[in-house]
Amino acid sequence: MTPILSIQQLTAGIEEREILKGIDLVVNPGEVHAIMGPNGSGKSTLASVLAGREDYTVTGGSVTFMGKDLLEMAPEERAREGMFLAFQYPIEIPGVSTANFIKTAVGELRKHRGLDPLEPAAFLALMREKMKLVEMDSSFLNRSLNEGFSGGEKKRNEIFQMAMLEPTLAVLDETDSGLDIDALRIVAHGVNALRSPTNATVVITHYQRLLDYIVPDVVHVLWNGRIVRSGDKSLALELEKRGYDWIKNEAAVEA
Amino acid sequence: MAREAFRNNVLRAHELLASRLNGNAAAPLHQQRVSALQTFLDQGVPTTRHEEWKYTNVLPFIGSEFVTSLDADTAVTAYDCARAMGSLAEALDGGWRVVFVNGHISVQLSSIPEHVNGLRIEPLTDTLIADHPELATVAGANVAASTNPFVAANLALANNGVVIRVGSNIQLERPIHVVCITDVRASHRLATPRVVLLAETGSSVDVVESHHTLGDLIALDVTVAEVAVAANAHVRYHKVLDDGGALRHIGDMRADVSRDATFTAHTACLGGGFVRNDVSVRLCEPSSQGFLFGTSVLRDHEYADNHTTVDHCVPHCHSEELYKGIYNDSSVGVFNGKIYVRPQAQKTTAYQSSHAILLSERAQMNSKPQLEIWADDVKCSHGATTGQLDEDAVFYLQSRGIDAAKARALMTYAFVAEVVERIDLVSLRQHLEERIADKLGAEPFAL
Repeated sequence: MTPILSIQQLTAGIEEREILKGIDLVVNPGEVHAIMGPNGSGKSTLASVLAGREDYTVTGGSVTFMGKDLLEMAPEERAREGMFLAFQYPIEIPGVSTANFIKTAVGELRKHRGLDPLEPAAFLALMREKMKLVEMDSSFLNRSLNEGFSGGEKKRNEIFQMAMLEPTLAVLDETDSGLDIDALRIVAHGVNALRSPTNATVVITHYQRLLDYIVPDVVHVLWNGRIVRSGDKSLALELEKRGYDWIKNEAAVEA
Repeated sequence: MAREAFRNNVLRAHELLASRLNGNAAAPLHQQRVSALQTFLDQGVPTTRHEEWKYTNVLPFIGSEFVTSLDADTAVTAYDCARAMGSLAEALDGGWRVVFVNGHISVQLSSIPEHVNGLRIEPLTDTLIADHPELATVAGANVAASTNPFVAANLALANNGVVIRVGSNIQLERPIHVVCITDVRASHRLATPRVVLLAETGSSVDVVESHHTLGDLIALDVTVAEVAVAANAHVRYHKVLDDGGALRHIGDMRADVSRDATFTAHTACLGGGFVRNDVSVRLCEPSSQGFLFGTSVLRDHEYADNHTTVDHCVPHCHSEELYKGIYNDSSVGVFNGKIYVRPQAQKTTAYQSSHAILLSERAQMNSKPQLEIWADDVKCSHGATTGQLDEDAVFYLQSRGIDAAKARALMTYAFVAEVVERIDLVSLRQHLEERIADKLGAEPFAL
C-alpha cells in the first residue's frame, strides 16, 4: 500500500530560525492522525509547510505526497493534486462571493483532472447539499468569502470547501480552536462524513476535546520541532490528564 | 512656451470661429464665447504650482500644434465611428446616440429620436435659447464661478453643443449615449464638445458619455457637461474613458440638484494617455441627493485624475462618494474630493471614500480629501486608503487550487466590482465588468 503522505527528516523554519527539526510521519489511506503539542512546538509550521506557504523555508528532508515530491509543487498544484489545508484563521476576502470562489476552485481542480466543468444547475445543487453537511444556510453562498462570518461560521466554511474539493489528504490546522461545543460537533460531523478508505486526515490540535468527535488512529506529540511520542487514541487522553510537562521532561532526558 | 502656444492656439481658433458668424456676433451664445475667452486668458494654462493641478501636469502635451475644426468632419465614416467605439457601441445598441466628431455634432452618425414623447435632443443655438429662456439658467450659468481654465476654453470655442431635454414625468427606458470622437489620423487636434442636460420635474434618464480617438496623434478633448436636475427627477450620468494612448481628456461635469431629486455620476477610467475629470454637484434644495462613483483600472503610463466637489447648500441633503482604483506598472491616479457644508446646511449627511491598490512599485496614487464644514449638526466622514494586495488572501486562494495570477485578478476585480455594481444601467454595467475583467485577466462574475 502506497502511503498518501510520507515525511522524512523534514527540517524547516522562518527567517533563519529553525522550527521543525526533523519530522518523520507516514499517513496511509483511510487513516486519521492527530498531531498534538503545546503552543510553539511547530504544529502550525508543519501545516504551513505542507500547504506551501512562502514565508517558510525547507532546509532539509523530503515530503512525498501520493508518490510525488510535494516540495516541488506550487501551493495551487498541491491543492489540485488533492491536498487541503483547513486554516486556523480563514482569510476574509471582500467582494469575492463564496459561490464564485468555490466555483473557480472546483473549476481549476476539474480542469487539472481533465474533467469538463459542471453544469451550473448541478453545481448549485451540489453546493446546497454540501452546505447542509455543515449546517450552513445557503444565503452564505452570495456573501463575500468569510467577510463578517463568526468564528464558527468560518470554520464550517472551511469544511464546506473541503467537502466540495474532496481532497485525498485534509490537514485541519487547529480547526477546533475557539469553537463552542455545538459548532465543534458540526465540524466533526462534517469531517467524519467525508472520511473514506482512500483518503486521510491529519488533525492538528491543542486540545483533546476534538478527538472525542474525530477519533484518531494514531496520535503524535510534537515538541520542540520533533515528534517525540506516538501512540493510539489513549495517548491523547493521557495528555489531557497529565498535561504536556511529562513529555517535555522525557524528551529532555532522551536528548 | 507650451502655455503660450496653447493660449495662441485657443485665440486663433476663437477668431476663426468668430469670422464665420455671419452677423450673429451680438447673439447670446457668441457673447458667452467672448466672455469665456477673456476668462480663459485671465486664468491661463495651469501649471503644477496651481493647487487644483498640483499632481497633474498638462505641459508635456499642451504646446502641441492643435487643429480645430468648424464642422463635423465628414472624413469620419460610420465604420470609423464603430471602430472607435469598440464593444461599447454594441453594448448600448438599444439606446439613442449623439455623436460628436472633433467637437461638432454629426447628424449622419447620430441616431437622434424625433418623435419620442418628452425627449428633445437638439443643437444649442441662439434660437433655441430665445425659445426656452430656462436654458440660460443652465448653459454657461456656472462658468463664471469656475476656476478651471479648460472650462472657459471649451466655452470660448464650442460651436454648438447638444441640448437634451427630458420632459416632466418622462421615464426614459433607453440610455442616451453621447459619443465624442476626435480624429487625429492627420494632425493633433483640440475638440470641445458641450452637453447641456435638463431633466424636468419627475423625469428619469441615463446618459453615457464616452470619449474615443481615431489615429495616433495627440487628441485633446475638452468637454463640458452641464446638468440641471429638477424636483424629484433622477439623472444617472456615466462617463466612460476607455481609449488608447492618443486621448488626452479634460472633462468638467457640473450638476445642480433640486428638491427630492437625485444626481448620480459614475466615472470609469479604463484607459487613455491622460484623463482629468472634474465632477461638481450642488445640492440646491432640501432632500436632494448626490452620488459620485468612480472606477479606475490603469496600467502602463496611463493617468487618471478625478476631482470632485459636493456643495451642500441647504439642510437635509445627502451625498455619497466612492472611488476605487487599481494601478499597475507606472500608472498614476489622483483623487481630490471636496465637500462643502454651508452654515445653513444642517442635518447634512456626506460620506466620501477613496481606495486604491497599487500592483507595482512604480505605480502612484495621490489622495486629497478636503472637507469644509460650516454647519454643526451634520454627519460627515471621509476615508482614503492606498495599499497593496493582501498576500495572505492570495495564498488562501492558492491553497484552494487557484493560481497566484488568477487569485490576484480575482481579488483586484472584486475590489473595483463593489463600485461597478452600483450602476443600475444593466447594459453598461455588464460591458464595464467585461472590460475590467479583461484588463485584469479575470473572468467577470455572474451572480
